[in-house]
Amino acid sequence: MSRTTPRRRSRGALAVTLAAASLLISACGGSTGSKDPAVQAPVKPGQKVDLRFWSWVPGVDKAVDKWNATHPDIHVKLEKIPAGSSGGYAKMRAALKSGNAPDLAQVEYQEIPSFLLENGLVNLSRYGADKDRSKFVDWQWQQGVFDSAVYAIPQASGPMGLFYRSDLFKKWGITPPATWDEFAQAAQKIHSADPKAYISTFPAGNSAWFTALAWQAGAKWFGVNGDTWSVNIDSSQTLKVAAFWDKLRSKGVIKTEPDFANGWYKDLQTGAITSWVSAQWGDAIISGNAPQTAGKWAVAPMPQWTKGSNASANWGGSSTAVLKGAKHIPEALKFAEWLNTDPTSVDLLLQGGYGWPAAADAYKGSSLDKPSKFFGDQKYNEVFAQADKSIDNSWKWIPTIDATYQHLNDGFQAALAGKGTFVSAVQQAQKQTVEDLKRKGLKVSTGK
Amino acid sequence: MPTRAPRRRRDLVPVAFVAPFLLLFLLTFALPIGYAVYQSVMDVEHTGALGLGGSHTVFVGLRNYSDALSDHAFVRSIGRVLLFAAVQVPVMVALSAGLALLLDSASARGVRFFRAAFFLPYGVPGVIASILWGFLYVPGVSPLVDGMRHLGLSVDLLGGNTVLWSIANIVTWEFAGYNVLVLVAQLRTIPAELYEAARIDGASAWMTVRHVKLPLLRPALILTTVFTIIGTLQLFAEPLVLKPVSSSIDSAYTPNLSAYNEAFTNDNYHLAAAEAVLLALAAFALSFGFLRLINKRGGDA
Repeated sequence: MSRTTPRRRSRGALAVTLAAASLLISACGGSTGSKDPAVQAPVKPGQKVDLRFWSWVPGVDKAVDKWNATHPDIHVKLEKIPAGSSGGYAKMRAALKSGNAPDLAQVEYQEIPSFLLENGLVNLSRYGADKDRSKFVDWQWQQGVFDSAVYAIPQASGPMGLFYRSDLFKKWGITPPATWDEFAQAAQKIHSADPKAYISTFPAGNSAWFTALAWQAGAKWFGVNGDTWSVNIDSSQTLKVAAFWDKLRSKGVIKTEPDFANGWYKDLQTGAITSWVSAQWGDAIISGNAPQTAGKWAVAPMPQWTKGSNASANWGGSSTAVLKGAKHIPEALKFAEWLNTDPTSVDLLLQGGYGWPAAADAYKGSSLDKPSKFFGDQKYNEVFAQADKSIDNSWKWIPTIDATYQHLNDGFQAALAGKGTFVSAVQQAQKQTVEDLKRKGLKVSTGK
Repeated sequence: MPTRAPRRRRDLVPVAFVAPFLLLFLLTFALPIGYAVYQSVMDVEHTGALGLGGSHTVFVGLRNYSDALSDHAFVRSIGRVLLFAAVQVPVMVALSAGLALLLDSASARGVRFFRAAFFLPYGVPGVIASILWGFLYVPGVSPLVDGMRHLGLSVDLLGGNTVLWSIANIVTWEFAGYNVLVLVAQLRTIPAELYEAARIDGASAWMTVRHVKLPLLRPALILTTVFTIIGTLQLFAEPLVLKPVSSSIDSAYTPNLSAYNEAFTNDNYHLAAAEAVLLALAAFALSFGFLRLINKRGGDA
């Protein structure tokens, strides 16, 4: 394992070098004041402008091409970056610190406060963004609003439902579970009908998914009051969700393999995993990775905690933000608004599979509003259209959400390894999150 | 260098010769290390709930160090690589030495082929090697796991108690060949007369290995051991790549992974700097501790 030839050394010390490089970069930032620079005036008509846009969203290239074809004065140069958690954000933060950020970038809803804390986003209210408000689904618009100023233009969200194998469910005489109790019974039935089959996996390394389940159960993890954050991850609603999955796990009727991994894709293909509580964009994941199961899937609403209610939640969701240091803010805002509301653009993004539109009333008559062969000719997006209306809109994020996800991941993984439970992982994450915020020099209350 | 010539103006000439090296050394080693140390005693403070009130860098002394050392996950990660090293270093050195001696033995056939074959994995980047082995570890995808299941062996190569040794396997596969090459090179420098003398004295093959080859191999063995110690502490690419397929690798599985995570996910550059410095100190202490131990036992390396 000697990593000492020049080539090997450079790889072995990769982390250290990267860290050192970014430390150098961060030094240049030094102290950033609160004063905003003067408002930029839009360029004169006829003057050409180049914008740089960093995104990873499928289909966005086609929308950008369309914009460039129809807007000769404002040219957008799209640069594809890795999806946020796979390194996109690290790249953006480094660019922000070195003062070389693009004009626009893809920022998921949960990351907006983190970017604000790093002083990375432009206050778009100063450029008249508020007039666009009515063009978007209200709660998604609110995801970018802080201190009554707009910091991001919403793009897409992930209302949730239950994808399931209708053929296997029929074979075993199982109806799609309407409540979580029924879900637990179905889990039992499926596993006893076929010892190799499971209702789903509990992805211990993907707590964004777990967060959405807690959201649906009525938990409100974060809030802000003046300059004090409140953290309530270990509320009774969250603990209920954690205990539910603890029980299924101890009975051995669910899998515990990671999602979005080779083994999981294989299980989707072979029917070892027969359902998936997921966001609307999960359709592309299933059809893309298990094409031979076409026609065998269907979609039902998310199981409910109380029979007859119709609570849903959001998983994922993304915005187009204008980054600090943008050279042409008014033009960047104009593009961001067009990208996410123009019907042609929305349709191109939909075809690429970008998720559920943030533009208000974009579903009706769009390419989503059609029966799907893959989902047994079901007009399955009706389920998600309904779910979209049943999301608790008051959900807020904190600036250290990545760390919280990791605490949960680490805790859930430890539980799988026999150390603790999902419930204790949640309780631990609460304590750690309070510490994270304090570490950043922020004020925290636990609201209890 | 027991004696030193008296200083004269002409002695500036050697200085000019080493200047390029010194400059590069300062720029690429001393400066980043110094900067990491500097960063590790600073921190950022924000004003207002969302930092909209601005932020500034402040001196915090050793707070980042105490934070790092009171972080159980980070301390556990150090313990984990130490345990890993305790197993990996002897296995690696013994295996490499064994293979090198086999290649060097009089009856070895196809030496060139085997030397190349052993070395070949070293040409595969660590990330690629980890992806390859990752496929071989995941149940349902891996012919290895499936094959063992047919034999009635059900092993979870990515489980909490096994994944560290699955990583050890990748690391051994990747780097054993490199160490073999270093050891073979050293064996080649042993003059043939020594073997001849041993043979005349009636030494068996094993006695030649024990009393001629191994003692003369000592410097190379020490070198490979130190390399292995340092490399083990730096464990990074393998767990990072296996993380998505194993539920047992957390974000602070190894100290390097923890520092990477603090810097690039949590924006705690200063804490990451402190962790990096601590890791460097541990590597320094261990490798120099090993060298001292060896030197005390007698003989010069």
